[in-house]
Amino acid sequence: MATRVGIVDIAMTPGAESKDNFLDQVYKVTKEVLDKAGIKRADVGTVISAASDVFHGGMSCANSYYWDAGGAFLKNGSRQDGESLFAFIYAVMRILSGSFDTALVLGVCKGSENPENDMLTHFFTDPFYQRQVGLNETVAAALQMREYMDKYGITGEQCAKVVVKNLGNALRNPYAHIKKRVDVDDVLNSETVLYPLKQMECAPKSEGIVAILLAKEDVAKRLTNKPVWFKGYGSSMDAFYLGDRDLLDGQLKQAAKRAYDMAGVSNPKKEIDVAEVCEPYAFQELLWYEDLGFCAPGEGGKLIDSAATNMDGNIPVNPSGGVLATNPYVSRGLYRLAEAFLQVQGKAGERQIDKKVNTALAHGTHGFAGQCHAVAIIGN
Amino acid sequence: MTKEYNTLKNVIELPHKYAAGPAWTRFYDGLKQEKIYGSRCQKCKKVFVPARSYCPACQVSADEWIEVSQEGKVISWALSISHEFFGMPVSPPFITALIRLDDTDCDFLHFIGGIDLSDAKKVKDLIKPGLKVRAVWNEEKKGHMMDIRHFVPVSG
Amino acid sequence: MGRPVAIIGSGQTKHGRRFDVTYPELVKEAVDRVFDSTGISPEDIDGVVSGTMPSMMEGVALTHFYFADVLRSVGKPILKTETCGSTGVSLAITGYYWIASGMADLVLVVGSEKMNEGDSQATMTTVVEPFYQRYFISGAPGIFSMQSQQWSVHYGIPEERVRAAATKLSIDHHNDAFDNPYAHIKKKLTEEEVNNARIITYPVRLWDVCPNSDGACAVIFASEKMAKKISKNPAWVKGVGYSGEEYWFGDSDKVVWQCAIDAAKQAYDMAGIKDPRKELDVAEVYNPFTFQELLYYECFGFCDFGKACDETLKGTFAKGGELPCDPSGGTLCTNPIGATGLNRVAEAALQVTNQAGDHQIPGAKLALAHAMGGVDQYNGIMILGSKL
Repeated sequence: MATRVGIVDIAMTPGAESKDNFLDQVYKVTKEVLDKAGIKRADVGTVISAASDVFHGGMSCANSYYWDAGGAFLKNGSRQDGESLFAFIYAVMRILSGSFDTALVLGVCKGSENPENDMLTHFFTDPFYQRQVGLNETVAAALQMREYMDKYGITGEQCAKVVVKNLGNALRNPYAHIKKRVDVDDVLNSETVLYPLKQMECAPKSEGIVAILLAKEDVAKRLTNKPVWFKGYGSSMDAFYLGDRDLLDGQLKQAAKRAYDMAGVSNPKKEIDVAEVCEPYAFQELLWYEDLGFCAPGEGGKLIDSAATNMDGNIPVNPSGGVLATNPYVSRGLYRLAEAFLQVQGKAGERQIDKKVNTALAHGTHGFAGQCHAVAIIGN
Repeated sequence: MTKEYNTLKNVIELPHKYAAGPAWTRFYDGLKQEKIYGSRCQKCKKVFVPARSYCPACQVSADEWIEVSQEGKVISWALSISHEFFGMPVSPPFITALIRLDDTDCDFLHFIGGIDLSDAKKVKDLIKPGLKVRAVWNEEKKGHMMDIRHFVPVSG
Repeated sequence: MGRPVAIIGSGQTKHGRRFDVTYPELVKEAVDRVFDSTGISPEDIDGVVSGTMPSMMEGVALTHFYFADVLRSVGKPILKTETCGSTGVSLAITGYYWIASGMADLVLVVGSEKMNEGDSQATMTTVVEPFYQRYFISGAPGIFSMQSQQWSVHYGIPEERVRAAATKLSIDHHNDAFDNPYAHIKKKLTEEEVNNARIITYPVRLWDVCPNSDGACAVIFASEKMAKKISKNPAWVKGVGYSGEEYWFGDSDKVVWQCAIDAAKQAYDMAGIKDPRKELDVAEVYNPFTFQELLYYECFGFCDFGKACDETLKGTFAKGGELPCDPSGGTLCTNPIGATGLNRVAEAALQVTNQAGDHQIPGAKLALAHAMGGVDQYNGIMILGSKL
């Protein structure tokens, strides 16, 4: 690659539902990141946002509404749908192509204006088959969880521990939506949404507008004395019908391999210092551990039992509290990236992990039982 | 005192009519006759159910239609005791399941019923991966996935 | 600038009311066609870019899931680009940057729409927010009527003259469409028929307006190395440009239309084009409404501001004219929204590689493709050439 791409700074809204007007929120977050970086809107090269019409409060052509609020007036820009890490990598591509020196990346999802997530994910289905039998993301997740428990003997307690850990971490995160000190029994005694899935094991519906400023190497060095560098990225898509897929052998392995190969990571367990993963359902964090190479297949439960993914463990996962604490559907991949950025910079405040962070991983997933995954690696 | 900001409520309804094409049209016609059709890929020879016009992996025609077995094995299942879901064609309690119909090569998404669903533990004791189930049909047929009422465990 | 990028093939579906196939089957038709015509195996593709119009038009959200198999994207990286009506050109631009960045050598780009399954004009009203403008905007024709009225008043062009120019475009394009095997509406029209057609929103009449089409378009973008290996006759991306303005329709001038002017300027600068009218051989301008096409001639520098009617009536932009526009019949005859802009790109690529068949502009070497989106909010451009 001709140049390196650096992350200069980030800004984000808290996850709690807010009665602030949507455009005001987008404007404030955009202004905040530009102010932090000390750059004028006029000097921003390109603006790439992520938003989905279906998660856009009943409005179509999501990018139209917030275009100027997001600093893109009379700029060359574009929009990615569904996964906000797509917007990140597209912005990276635009800088690597040599056409732009800086890029503003936005993730936009105002959960408080939307119906329930499951009502919206229900429309991912085809109208002829899966919609007629009521499929949505939670139903798909419960089926995946059942298979995972049956195949590897993963226990309800192990899944619940993900909630205990992540909501506990969220207590230290001023941006987190759900903050609760809970124990395994609290989780297991919460309402059964879809057996074996408990209510506390399902992510909420959150506010999430996030802005990330990228720049090519020399500009990034000029704008900040602590740039965090783009190291690698991979994504992968799975087949459409749930019944055509192996729900325990999905595409995250492929996405992670692509990211690791690009970043030159050969032993993720050792080389990744902290990971922010997208776990809209608690058990998925355990399954993603395996796919990301943090442990062997079937050992996700043992890994959380060992406390290795706690804040003070060998490989802390979701020090921010993750998606179980804050779930702005489309924006959540970029929220993971923003948190990974703060960890590498050492600016994560009370949620900063103890050891030095050189390399961090951010993961995003969307679709039923992880139909599509994206992984980004960044480092100092 | 801070001012409480308003919200604006807005409900949007849009009509859609989806082209079913030959494959879905024929599949639904089969349901009306209490038949479940699958189709075989001309290349990889896998049998997919519901029948497809093309193989998802090979992307070649899968137009060899086969009436598949109405019995199969449970691959995975999830039980709702009381939680309502938007768009769900049935009210709780219900079991959504992935079922591998005999001699097919993908899982079929439908419901399991005909058993006491009031106690999750009892259900778990009964429904194990590999449990044999068979389709039960609704009297009235509409050419819809729910012409199959659900699958019930096959005893013995 | 980044690495050189080429288009090495395209596939369009038959456009029209396609109730004979499901939506994924329609997409498959375009994708199969591009693989058949290029001889490339889907395994060789490094990544896939997909895009459509809003969920509400389609009745299926995040359609890249639904199309995962037919896009041949299973196990591959994917991007999902959507920018309203300009989606098609934004898709092409995504393919361009993916390869220009060095992160891929072969990218499949697919745009699609099944307009007839939903209610397109009802969907359009949901592009407009519910606090203010939604109550006043009667779908796309309302917007374009206002824009064309502003334009003719601004330059003091008599109404009859605007009508005459729009009528010529309507007759020419509906006739041009006969030469394009993929076009939806093909019709021999008389001046009388066009001038007396039913009013949609004054001054826009029936034959000034594009149809609702179902269709898909697939294009393969390649790095220089792969393009030279695979194709004897690639179309090279010479320039790209995109610009968007503020959301509120009343905030900016849509006559001397800045985002259209800027998008063209970006693309011309990159392509080294100084005099587009002389240097371009053909243009595929996004023309969902005849009146709007006139305005674009001016914003893209094809003629002076206020002179589009005169030039159109002189035949400057007709087949055989100095700069033929939309020899395919354009968006006016075929509008599957999520695919429409990509159709423009595919058509421009066919022209510069001398593969446009009956609607080939002889000797075309440099072509412009364009799309517009939002409530007159976005314009995107790609320029293709026969030489690297």
